[in-house]
Amino acid sequence: MKRALLIAGGTLGGLGAVMAITPPQFSTSNSAGLGDGIGAIGGATSTPAASKSSTAVATKSATAKPVTTKKATATKAATAAASTSATATPVATQTTAAPVPASKGVSGTFTGPTVNVNYGNVQVQITVKDGKITDATALQAPSGRNDRWTNMALPILKKQTLAAQSASIQGASGASYTSYGWYTSLQGALAKAGL
Amino acid sequence: MNHLRKQFPVWGTIVDVDISSSLVSEDGLNQGMQQVIDFCKQVDADFSTYIDTSWVTRLRIGQVEIVDCPPSVQKVWQLCLQAKHLTDGAFDPWAIEGGFDPSGLVKGWAADKCADMLVESGAEHVQVNAAGDLALRGGYFDGVVKPWSIGVVNPDNRTEVVKIYEITDGAIATSGTYERGPHIHDPLNGLIAIGAKSATVVGAAGWLCDAMATAVVVGGVDSAKWFGQPELKEYKVFGVYRHEDLAWEI
Repeated sequence: MKRALLIAGGTLGGLGAVMAITPPQFSTSNSAGLGDGIGAIGGATSTPAASKSSTAVATKSATAKPVTTKKATATKAATAAASTSATATPVATQTTAAPVPASKGVSGTFTGPTVNVNYGNVQVQITVKDGKITDATALQAPSGRNDRWTNMALPILKKQTLAAQSASIQGASGASYTSYGWYTSLQGALAKAGL
Repeated sequence: MNHLRKQFPVWGTIVDVDISSSLVSEDGLNQGMQQVIDFCKQVDADFSTYIDTSWVTRLRIGQVEIVDCPPSVQKVWQLCLQAKHLTDGAFDPWAIEGGFDPSGLVKGWAADKCADMLVESGAEHVQVNAAGDLALRGGYFDGVVKPWSIGVVNPDNRTEVVKIYEITDGAIATSGTYERGPHIHDPLNGLIAIGAKSATVVGAAGWLCDAMATAVVVGGVDSAKWFGQPELKEYKVFGVYRHEDLAWEI
């Protein structure tokens, strides 16, 4: 019983470490982008348990391809990810590549872990500028669910608050229109990242 | 540059057509406009579920088979099949109560046909707005040619534009449960669709934009996966969440 509790505690601790203790900007913003990617191809329920316990990480590392952070540019975190990815498992890279400044003005390109979903690998990279995610791309997309989905590019959702936009338009889709100011700020899931 | 803009009631809504050209006279533009009005009336007569004698009504009651229908109806039937395939069945005109109802695709398809007819008749800059399903050709002329700037309205406040797309040639369609009441049902369970409050799709073909917009209202964020298919690679999506002031786009 005690042992079971210890194991449970260890698992929860590991989960906590992944979900919460890692630097908030890096881990949560990546998981936000990653969640989008997974949702985009198969629904969030297909998220593997891989990132949630060390056993699963080990299992997953056998199937996941090495991280290729070729698009990563000159930030400390991205460099760290690139340098360790050749030897470490992608998830380990993800959760241990720590040195992102905890300030609001974080900038750079961050690569998420390679995640094995039930029909392929997903890996998402986000670009953050001054604390805002400006782009999200898929470095790896799944393939092989069946012929129709093989080689498909993985669309990435970009979330934003619904805000009025001001510009002159010549037509409206939806209903009658007036023009207004528009700003894109990533909120929702991204707000959770503390960005 | 001759310019002509006309709104006319058809399909239970208003179609707004804006055309200009330096190639043809105002008379020429008028002729093109009249062709389009006639075509729209014909589309209504063929496809309306409210007209007892329309082909679609007769299909619904089993009076005719699709092979008995004119080419335009057969074409739309085929496009519906394609859209159903591309959306994993979320767009399903055959699952609608009362039988086959292609309304979620016809407006976008017809707007495209209108725009092509207008170009054929000499119009250089064309906007056909069929109650939110737009077909655009040749950009907008404002001294120089620019893309048409088309706003997507806030489903909760129609006077507010929340997204702007610049389109030179192509289509944009918005579906939602807001504009004409909750009229989209999830074919998988028959309930009112709750995936997205509104969905806008931008791309080359009006029929596909229209059908995909309808399907995204059903499928919500999960619909994103459809847009990884090669047929939809060049298409853009803008969805508005149902219960939050949030939008997502691809």
